[in-house]
Amino acid sequence: MNRRDFIKAGAGAATLLALGPRADAVMRTAGRKATPRKVLILGFDGMDPKMTARWMSEGKLPAFKRLAAQGGFSPLGTSIPPQSPVAWSNFIAGTNPGGHGIFDFIHRDPKTYFPTFSASATEGSTKTIRLGNIVFPIKSGSVRNLRQGKAFWQVLEEHDVPATVFKIPANYPPVDSRQRTFSGMGTPDIVGTYGTLNYYTTESKLVNEDIGGATVHQVYVIGNRVDAKLPGPINSFKPDRPAAEIDFKIYLDPSNAVARISIQGQDFLLREKEWSGWKRVSFPLIPTQSVGGICMFYLKEIHPEVKLYVSPINVDPARPALPVSTPTSYGEDLEKKFGPFFTKGLPADTSALENDILNEEEFLQQDGFVLEESRTMLDYELGRFEAGLLFYYISSTDQRQHMFWRLFDEKHPAYDPALAKAFGGTIESTYRQADEILDRALGRIDKDTIVLVMSDHGFNPYYRSFNLNTWLRANGYLKLQNEFKEEDLDWAFAGTNWMKTRAYGVGLNGLYINEKGRESEGIVTTGPDKDNLVREIARKLEEFRDPKTGEKVLARAYVAKDVYTGAYVSSAPDIILGFNRGYRISFKSPLGRVPKDILEDNKAKWSGDHMGAAEIMPGIVLANRPVAAERPALYDVTATIMDVFDIEKPKEMIGSSLFKKGEPG
Amino acid sequence: MATFNAVIGSLFGLAVLPFRAMNPWLAMIVISVLTGLLMLAVFRWTSNQEGIHRAKEAIKAHLLELRLYKDSMAQQMRSQGRILAANGRYILHALRPMLVMIVPVMLILIQLNLWFGSRPLAPGETAILKVKLAAGRSPLASDISVDAPAGIIVETLPLRIEEEREIDWRLRAAAPGVYDLTLKAGSDSFTKSVRVGGSLLAPISNVRPGPSFLDQVFNPGEKPLPRALAVESVEVDHPERRLPLLGLRLHWLIAYFALSIVFGFALKGVFKVEI
Repeated sequence: MNRRDFIKAGAGAATLLALGPRADAVMRTAGRKATPRKVLILGFDGMDPKMTARWMSEGKLPAFKRLAAQGGFSPLGTSIPPQSPVAWSNFIAGTNPGGHGIFDFIHRDPKTYFPTFSASATEGSTKTIRLGNIVFPIKSGSVRNLRQGKAFWQVLEEHDVPATVFKIPANYPPVDSRQRTFSGMGTPDIVGTYGTLNYYTTESKLVNEDIGGATVHQVYVIGNRVDAKLPGPINSFKPDRPAAEIDFKIYLDPSNAVARISIQGQDFLLREKEWSGWKRVSFPLIPTQSVGGICMFYLKEIHPEVKLYVSPINVDPARPALPVSTPTSYGEDLEKKFGPFFTKGLPADTSALENDILNEEEFLQQDGFVLEESRTMLDYELGRFEAGLLFYYISSTDQRQHMFWRLFDEKHPAYDPALAKAFGGTIESTYRQADEILDRALGRIDKDTIVLVMSDHGFNPYYRSFNLNTWLRANGYLKLQNEFKEEDLDWAFAGTNWMKTRAYGVGLNGLYINEKGRESEGIVTTGPDKDNLVREIARKLEEFRDPKTGEKVLARAYVAKDVYTGAYVSSAPDIILGFNRGYRISFKSPLGRVPKDILEDNKAKWSGDHMGAAEIMPGIVLANRPVAAERPALYDVTATIMDVFDIEKPKEMIGSSLFKKGEPG
Repeated sequence: MATFNAVIGSLFGLAVLPFRAMNPWLAMIVISVLTGLLMLAVFRWTSNQEGIHRAKEAIKAHLLELRLYKDSMAQQMRSQGRILAANGRYILHALRPMLVMIVPVMLILIQLNLWFGSRPLAPGETAILKVKLAAGRSPLASDISVDAPAGIIVETLPLRIEEEREIDWRLRAAAPGVYDLTLKAGSDSFTKSVRVGGSLLAPISNVRPGPSFLDQVFNPGEKPLPRALAVESVEVDHPERRLPLLGLRLHWLIAYFALSIVFGFALKGVFKVEI
């Protein structure tokens, strides 16, 4: 199995889901019961307390400053590790990862050592019948949200407090609820991946498979026309499960910079460097079944080379092939109001920028659509926010820091002075845009509404990449079948000798002991042997220094049972890496590769990150009421919600209110 | 053909006139009632009413036989055969009115498509202007250009598609109004109508046809283009109009057939028509 198979495995049964009954088809939104208080929470992914404080003090974030003066501003303790799905799950469930079971973007199957998505699992139909060349599902497939514990809006629902939760990460598929919720980060495209773009070009072009998310199609111009195919989801009705495809044509003018794209009866003209807006497509599976989606076309170049970008195909909110909202009518209603909109978890196409398919300006144009759409929909939700809680999520703050840190920080190995001149201010301008959003929101709420602004983690530069599995090999904990091989770039530990391997790394921060009885080929005995090994590796990791800079690579190597509590601690990695400032796991190590060097310069455009130790990576919290908590953490915000609505905190929730007892309002 | 189209168009316009400012369903209901009555009348006067009646009675009788003689396989088979034969006679009797009606119904459908098939462009919306040249003409050798009135913006340079003998431009609607785009080809010029905004129910012509008879029949909204222009058609695809009903968006054809059938059956007793 290769990397592409892994990605497809994430939601490979998408086509089957489209055919299953919609359990909530008749479900309606929970009642909009009046509440004595309202709570508005704006979640800006990745907003960093240091940068926020700096730009607040320089007067560049006046709304943030105003809010801080009204109530308070504080760093917000993040999760271990500070990855978005983990951190937002801390907030959703009001607990630490031991209580909700999401420890990383990527977990592993101990029976196969195979990396798996942590947040959701998709299963195809288990019962099928084959008639001729068609396989019919007898039972539809399913997709499950793997986050454990009750979400705060489910608790609110039990107490008749209405809530709208828009695009909160780690809520795909949205958990059962009659509250209005729309899934966020973790929502796949209709192919079943976290986003696979299609790029059609007459020039030869390779993509970085480690970054992935892109399919390049070599095309040819014959008679000023290009014939191409748009690949869609796997067609589970066919025995060999090919990808469904749509034929389309690009007609080029011989000299003018204009082209017509003809796809499924839709014709549209694009000039060079122009976006199409959303287009609906429908992938036929069998004569009576199809899967619909929405995508955008961008005509990057017509002459001399043809370059056409097609965005990942998002789930169509009007006819969702996958569950993206509760009730289903919520997404459909939004579509009726606004037309098609981004539904893929993280809509900005970082893969396109990383692979030089979109340049910085084009990436920002696309993310500008995302931000504009977010602003418009927030205005709409604020307009009908009459009771309970409204949570609203903005992704651009995170995505742009990931991609533009290199142009903001001269020390970064990928710093480019020419690009920095044009785009060095992107992060600051994004914070200013966040400020504008906050300002508009503050202008729309009444004085009794409690406003909380939060982020899940902060941001750091990503200068150097750490190959954990290479370090484990160098220290004798991981062995390859061929000991003389310099490196093993096969995927998913293909060349690993498990009979001699004591520890391995999977995911962005996870290290696992090859434990007897847990891993299929485990060799380390549970008990003191394992405990001693964990402590030994953690100590060595914390001592390890970068030979190039002399700095520690890890600020902390957390032992899971020291830092997690709750019912799911046993599923956690044994050690969680907390990187030092400037360091992050490489792109190769998380999926089980063992490259040659332990450390490498990061010359990728993905140049800012947040895989550091929780202590150096806090997020932010601001409120329009005094924040009494001294060192608030994500799960304290959840406890605050319970406090404001006078709801007794469920016993699984571990936080405490940010506000002084008895003074939430 | 142009004169015929103009007359039919005026008659249709007259029927719709009182309802243009109202919900389009009203006009659709009125037209369905009127055409339902017309179809009933045609059916009444052109069909063999007695024959139809006899055929239906025969079918009923043989259906009864099926129920009464369940234990006799031979009788069952005979009854089935007689039902089939009676059905055949029924269809034969209905054939003549259907043949008589096919032309007027086709004309009604073409007119309905003109009124209900498309909606005006909304300000900000785009559409493609397509000029299809006559056979043997190359768009690369053509000098056709577009003059847009204020209210319509031509956003692109011409896209010339040799294999389709077509020249395309992208238009953007800027302000409400009914506009004529002027297309110039050498010393000749011709126009194409575009409708932007407005709440009145109005005929919307997507295609201005060339001199071909059939094209004129199916595109009655504008005068045909002169043969000398060597242009087969000019097209601006206005967005499709749908009729809203309880959260559904119905195609006019479904609405029309459903309504005219309902009215036809509701009124057949009144006018004593055997269907």
